[in-house]
Amino acid sequence: MNKLYLGGSIFVALMLLFTYISVAGSKGGLNSDIVNMLAVAGAVAIVVITVFVVIKYVRQMQVDTASGELAKESWDGIGEYKNNVPMGWAIMFLLTMVWGMWYWLIGYPVNKYSQIGEYNEDVAVHNTKFQEKYKDISGDKLVEMGESVFLAECKVCHGLSADGIDGKAANLNKRIDAASVKYIIEHGSNNKLLGMEMPMPDRNALFNATSGALITDAEIELVANYVANGMSGEGADVFAGACSSCHGADGKGVDFVAPNLAQYTPALVVNVLNNGKKAAIGAMPKFDRLNDKQKEAVGAYITSLSSK
Amino acid sequence: MFHWLEKHPFFFAVGVFIVISFAGLIEILPSFAQASRPVIGTAPYSTLELAGRHVYISNSCNACHSQLVRPFKSETDRYGHYSLSGEYAYDRPFLWGSKRTGPDLMRVGNYRTTDWHENHMKDPQSVVPGSVMPAYRWLFTNSSDIETAFAEQLTVEKHFGVPYNKEIPLKDGTTKVVKIGQSVAEAKALALEEAKVIAADMKDQDVKDAVARGEIPEIVALIAYMNSLK
Repeated sequence: MNKLYLGGSIFVALMLLFTYISVAGSKGGLNSDIVNMLAVAGAVAIVVITVFVVIKYVRQMQVDTASGELAKESWDGIGEYKNNVPMGWAIMFLLTMVWGMWYWLIGYPVNKYSQIGEYNEDVAVHNTKFQEKYKDISGDKLVEMGESVFLAECKVCHGLSADGIDGKAANLNKRIDAASVKYIIEHGSNNKLLGMEMPMPDRNALFNATSGALITDAEIELVANYVANGMSGEGADVFAGACSSCHGADGKGVDFVAPNLAQYTPALVVNVLNNGKKAAIGAMPKFDRLNDKQKEAVGAYITSLSSK
Repeated sequence: MFHWLEKHPFFFAVGVFIVISFAGLIEILPSFAQASRPVIGTAPYSTLELAGRHVYISNSCNACHSQLVRPFKSETDRYGHYSLSGEYAYDRPFLWGSKRTGPDLMRVGNYRTTDWHENHMKDPQSVVPGSVMPAYRWLFTNSSDIETAFAEQLTVEKHFGVPYNKEIPLKDGTTKVVKIGQSVAEAKALALEEAKVIAADMKDQDVKDAVARGEIPEIVALIAYMNSLK
């Protein structure tokens, strides 16, 4: 028995002892659960293998002598033995290179993956699913979808309850307020609310048929309140004279001529989303990145707000 | 076979360097040059927008707001089309950022407006309940630095060939020309002209009065910059 083996064995025994003490002393002890048992088995294996591998190499350093055929070159008197690549290793190396070329060119072509490609696939899958799932959505479900889109995209300006946050944006709980009506009469409008170019002239071209003259300040005041009150109160005669020829006697708009002033319609909202809008309060950007179903849903939601 | 190389470590190192840099050159540089060209619709900053960009940087907006939309559906749903390298062609420096305390602003010009920014910068919580953004009220009184913006325009035009006073192709097939002044006075006049358009959409009477007097408060420049982010 060599001293080295003796030392190694003592070291192994000590390590095992420590392991036993630390495990047995821990909560649960040595025999209670499989995880502890596995950990101990692993520790034993590691200690034993490590010690004996180390001993092998230390022995080799102690007793081995150099032998073999020297290579031609010598660096300042230091030579190098010829040490040929083992055949099995060489075959594996060449096979790996062949596999590498195959993998790079055919197995996983360099242009096969792109982040944008993955993005496009994700979007296509999502869109198909969306179309499929919400193909026939209508009624309350559509309003619910509209509310969720509203909370994601619209509430930043219009507020959680769609009240326009103290006049910072339009209050969507009612069709229109008096200030907006006045502004539009003063300045005219071309907001593509019908989805096409259909400008409304300003007050200099608004003729009141009842009085037979251009609309006056007092009449603007009256008719603004009349429209803002949901087509009721004073000012009906001014509306009939100056506005109804385009907006209809009931203010509900005329196809291809003028938008509905009495109430929201989903189509009106969709047109605002598509084209944006600019009037008394400020500008609203267009939200044409929503898909058609989402726009329809927002239209349904906003229409539902004022028709409760 | 290569023992002679091993005897000359210096030349060996040089050889390794050349082989690796050659591979880098032919693989990286061409696609980099291709991708960093301005995409259609990317225009240089006007004087006022550039002054606004300086306000943006000096107030460290970029510490909380990124300007980089990544190609994930959750991001493009919220912020619009993912960012392309060429869109930063005129950004010196770019303001990508890697931390979002606030939302990304890469395309904020598409979905926020002048009057919204005005309300928001004055009192963020009034439009976004629970927002952690502080108010930036001094922007409404400080004047923006048009001279520096103009100096930067001149520099980038001269040294990087940024196409001022040239036709820039836009996405819808039309073109637009971003003007640069020939003198500081002209640059200021151009900036003021732009500022008047912005101020017309604003509500703050002090800002409107200042622009009417020929001054440009920082908020106007900043909003011009925000609106240009598309």
